[in-house]
Amino acid sequence: MQALISPRAKSIILPTITFIAILAIWEGVSRGFSIPAFVLPAPSRILMGFEAITFSRWMEHVWATLRVALIGYFVSIAVAIPIAIGLTRSKTLADCLYPILVVVQSTPIVAVAPIIIVVLGSQDAPRIVITFLITFFPLVVSTTTGLMATPPELIELSRSLRAPASREFTQIRIPFAIPYIFSALKISITLAVIGAVVAEFVAADKGVGYFIQFSTSLFKLPEAWAGLGVLVLMSLTLFQLVELTQRVFFPWSLPKDAT
Amino acid sequence: MSITKLARVLGAGAIALAAAASSASAQDKVIYQLDWLPGGDKAPIYVCINRGFCKKAGLDVSITSGRGSTEAITKLGTGSSDIGSAGMEALMAAKARENVPVIAVMSIFNQGPHAFFTLKGNGVTEMKDVKGKRIATSPFTASNVFLPLILADMGMSESDIRLTKADPGALGPMLMTGSTDVIIAWMTDVSRYTNQAIAAKREIVVMPWSTQGLNLYSAALVASEKFLKERPDVARRFVAAFKQSMEYVKTNPAESVAAVTAIVPELTGPDVNGQLKDMLVLMHNDVSAKDGLGALEAKRLAETWARTAASLKLDPKSLDPEKVVNRSFMPK
Repeated sequence: MQALISPRAKSIILPTITFIAILAIWEGVSRGFSIPAFVLPAPSRILMGFEAITFSRWMEHVWATLRVALIGYFVSIAVAIPIAIGLTRSKTLADCLYPILVVVQSTPIVAVAPIIIVVLGSQDAPRIVITFLITFFPLVVSTTTGLMATPPELIELSRSLRAPASREFTQIRIPFAIPYIFSALKISITLAVIGAVVAEFVAADKGVGYFIQFSTSLFKLPEAWAGLGVLVLMSLTLFQLVELTQRVFFPWSLPKDAT
Repeated sequence: MSITKLARVLGAGAIALAAAASSASAQDKVIYQLDWLPGGDKAPIYVCINRGFCKKAGLDVSITSGRGSTEAITKLGTGSSDIGSAGMEALMAAKARENVPVIAVMSIFNQGPHAFFTLKGNGVTEMKDVKGKRIATSPFTASNVFLPLILADMGMSESDIRLTKADPGALGPMLMTGSTDVIIAWMTDVSRYTNQAIAAKREIVVMPWSTQGLNLYSAALVASEKFLKERPDVARRFVAAFKQSMEYVKTNPAESVAAVTAIVPELTGPDVNGQLKDMLVLMHNDVSAKDGLGALEAKRLAETWARTAASLKLDPKSLDPEKVVNRSFMPK
């Protein structure tokens, strides 16, 4: 039996069976104990929740969330990586910026979100800023750690050969930091979706988070759960896309057992 | 690659927006601020747009949803929106404390929507029976402001009840599952809670606070002072079209439901119908018959401020309630 199933197939089949078993138990409990849908809807009822709005309307909500999550994510990459390089190169800059970064990260974004909305209005800008604030800290920390983790003898060798600082970064430090950067990118992409949803809870007229809040306010729990399912699917897809990018473009940066 | 695609999509979107903007330039743009999420209780603004009252008045109205009266007033005060709906008590408190540049131009609900909801068999048959009971309310509802007053009117204080706060979406399930004896909710939600009670094979009992003598204005049409000052003619036309829509929802409920669902596809006909039916009693009633639809009658206004000041422990002299309203934008 062990020989019949490859380890890779096993890693797919076992979680799938577990997931189906959980759904079956959930369905059985909901029906057996006649739990009302507004308390805990059965999976079959949640499935019907997808029919609450048309497919094109679902796509409008998905696109609204995805747009904010992706823009916030890419803005945070564009800001975080140069900051990380700056922190690595200059001790003074690190002394100046690090405490501020920690303060930003320590501030509960959920609490600040309403203030950001008031300051920046209710269009996409505040939602992108909220997403950016949630995603960029792991990127800065991980990238900095990666850039600092370069073996010192390589740096010394590069300097002894009088290589310019730009080559030290592009050919030594950044390649060494790639595994760190990608682990942060994977964390940040799921945080980006969370950020977009947090922003939609505070102010939005469209988006999956808005749809969940809207459904909850109408006591339509199955629809809210359906929205939650869409969000989970969105996060998983984005996570897999980042992983695929690493697998395709930087296969050498993956752990040996993952290639 | 993704950035390039994204840039293309954003570029295309910007061009489309610019084209839409130029085609609609013949009409005056107005941003309407809701104080909460869309629903049947907000039917007049959807009727105004969908039935063409706004367009006929030369207005191109867009709606933006809100997350409570205070937030709506803030957005109006900062100029993000032009006109919208918000609780009169929240506006009075904001005026007294911060003198926000927002003013009420017409009343929408001339009665407070606040009520106790319970289930038959929970031992609460009249208002004073809430003594000693577990009562759940949502953290940010305006009802919390008036709770101490309504309790005091019945010779009680908050120490006589067991008050807990929970997310608004959890209140109904808490009541139905017996986690609480009573909830504090709004009259605009009677149909929703009734449907939940039916699903739980129970019977809902509603006790509006207005029956206990809580006579006050609640939702009002409020506008940014900047909007009123810079575009008074647009404001006048909007208020007239909005009032026409308030009259329309009473005489044409089925068409009004269709108007809401046409703009908000997440809402179903039965949802909107229930909310609309619940809302109409707060808009069209004995008070509107006596004072006129949308009126801001001085005595009732003063009573609203007196209650608000007492509940928020504000100096009653810190605000002249007449300074909160401007009746000159109402149609003659």
